[in-house]
Amino acid sequence: MDIKILFLILVPLGTAFLIPFIDLINAKLRRFFVLLGILLESYLIISIIINNYQSLKSGDFFLQYYLGGWQPPIGISLAMDALSLVFAVITALSLFLIVIYSIGYIGHHEGKYYVLYFLIAAASMGAILTADMFNIYVFIEMLTITSGALIGFKRSQEASAAAIKYLIYNVLAGLLFFLGVLLIYFNLGTLNMADISQHFASLESGIQLFITAIFLTAILIKMGVFPFLFWLPKSYDTAPSPVTAVLSGVLSKVYLYIFIRIFWTVIGFKTLEALNLNILLLDLALFSSFLGHLFALQSDNIKRLLGYSSIGHIGMITAVIMLNTEAGFYGGILHIISHMFMKAGLFVACGYLLQYTRSHAYRDFKGVGIRNRSVFVAFIALLLSMIGMPPLLGFASKWYVLMAFLEARSYFGAFIVIFGSLTAVIYYLRYIAKGFEEIKLTEDDLKEEIYSRPLLSVLYREKIVSFITYAYTAIIIGFGLGFRFFDLPLRMSIESVMNVERYIELVLGG
Amino acid sequence: MFNNLIFIILFMLGFYALVIKTNLIKNVIGLNLMEAAVFFWVISFSDIGGKVSIHKLGEEVTKFNDPVPQALTLTGIVIGASTAALLLTLIIELNKFSGTIDRDQLEGLND
Repeated sequence: MDIKILFLILVPLGTAFLIPFIDLINAKLRRFFVLLGILLESYLIISIIINNYQSLKSGDFFLQYYLGGWQPPIGISLAMDALSLVFAVITALSLFLIVIYSIGYIGHHEGKYYVLYFLIAAASMGAILTADMFNIYVFIEMLTITSGALIGFKRSQEASAAAIKYLIYNVLAGLLFFLGVLLIYFNLGTLNMADISQHFASLESGIQLFITAIFLTAILIKMGVFPFLFWLPKSYDTAPSPVTAVLSGVLSKVYLYIFIRIFWTVIGFKTLEALNLNILLLDLALFSSFLGHLFALQSDNIKRLLGYSSIGHIGMITAVIMLNTEAGFYGGILHIISHMFMKAGLFVACGYLLQYTRSHAYRDFKGVGIRNRSVFVAFIALLLSMIGMPPLLGFASKWYVLMAFLEARSYFGAFIVIFGSLTAVIYYLRYIAKGFEEIKLTEDDLKEEIYSRPLLSVLYREKIVSFITYAYTAIIIGFGLGFRFFDLPLRMSIESVMNVERYIELVLGG
Repeated sequence: MFNNLIFIILFMLGFYALVIKTNLIKNVIGLNLMEAAVFFWVISFSDIGGKVSIHKLGEEVTKFNDPVPQALTLTGIVIGASTAALLLTLIIELNKFSGTIDRDQLEGLND
């Protein structure tokens, strides 16, 4: 019993509900409370790590909290094993960096923005920590509603259209997830993940196939893997930059976590193998990755290009996880971590650089690098990391992914990794070259520019925003040199994914 | 079996409205119809002809309906209502900017 993991959800939830009241009293206090909320969240995570350092080292780390004091499988419980801890730490770190960036970026309707932002924080923590299937559904729907509202936050025609498209796809996925959860309940009479995992293999194979297919469709829509990827680039393009950073840095990783949890812990990889779905899924994910890189090659819009590249990387991660080997998980989770930092950092840098341009189009990118050299250099470092240039973090993770594919003799997968890097060289270098093109600025241009970018008009805000960009670059370079730092957490999380019996024993017995 | 038939008809009607119709409000109605179909099916499937699961003191209970699917469906209905409200808000917003809520006329939604 550890009440701290309950507070990981309650703190952002409480902050979200507190902010409107703070706004009523004094709007100037708002940022103070935002910082307080996110610092409290970070403190909780850090104190969990420090208090359980011994059990983390010896490898038997497990925390659980019974909501209302009811033991599972009857009651709902929050469980935190090594895999959830790794995801909770990187999610909290991303949320921390992006909220500071938002303080510098978001100009209008700040109060509403932070309410939605902290609801996303609460829902993603909840989805990572819960040990109950229906809770996952509730938190997923919370994520869908809040992120849909944030995509439409700019209040323009494109933003509303993108948000409607995003919501229609994701609500449909949520409905399928609901049906799957209820089918499990009707067949097994339980909603606890460990309890389902114990009995799932005893079902008839037809019902198993039906339930697995429903969950698979729902989660593939949410992640944006091949047959259902069409909502993703548009919503990445039109959302404000910090929201895009959240979408790619937090939401897609939370969905990847749910994917791993459901298909390894709850349904079990043996069931997938028995139903012959693993080969199909591997090929779908690889094809999705291929398609993402191809679309990125023809894209003329920097944010949409990054969205397509996200499709490519998420497909690659899904494929390497589907190999179900230790090397595959090692590379996959390392690439989840590195992609989280690289993509969020790129969107953060992009949000800064695009203030100088009229649109997100390729031709308007001209001369951006000359306007602000230092941020553009950070942007280039992040792009090189996406390509996989040593000694940056992207190289380390891509190397392990490539090695995992080669070890499992999946040569098509290895080809996709290299193909992704090569096409990335082409489509990123184009933008780097365009950014360094000379432009002549007249006095009128500069004047117009100052009026056209109200968000960065205050000097200290500009400093905050560029500082976060440097922070992301520092993370990429620092962990790129010391990626061995992730060795222990990765091994622990692989252990908790692979050893399902132990998870069941801990959740039901602990 | 009657409930399965109604479930399939409602679900397909909703799917038709979502995919074939180009009016965005009709799409949202279709989405809600699909949700309603699923909720209806869940409730009717969990009804085994027993009593409501509320006990009175001294009453002999032999057979009662499982309350858990009903509770889960209630949560589902709340979530469905809030997504529908958000979608309709966004459609009003879209209509304000573009003057149309037809999917085919909005080039922004189709690319």
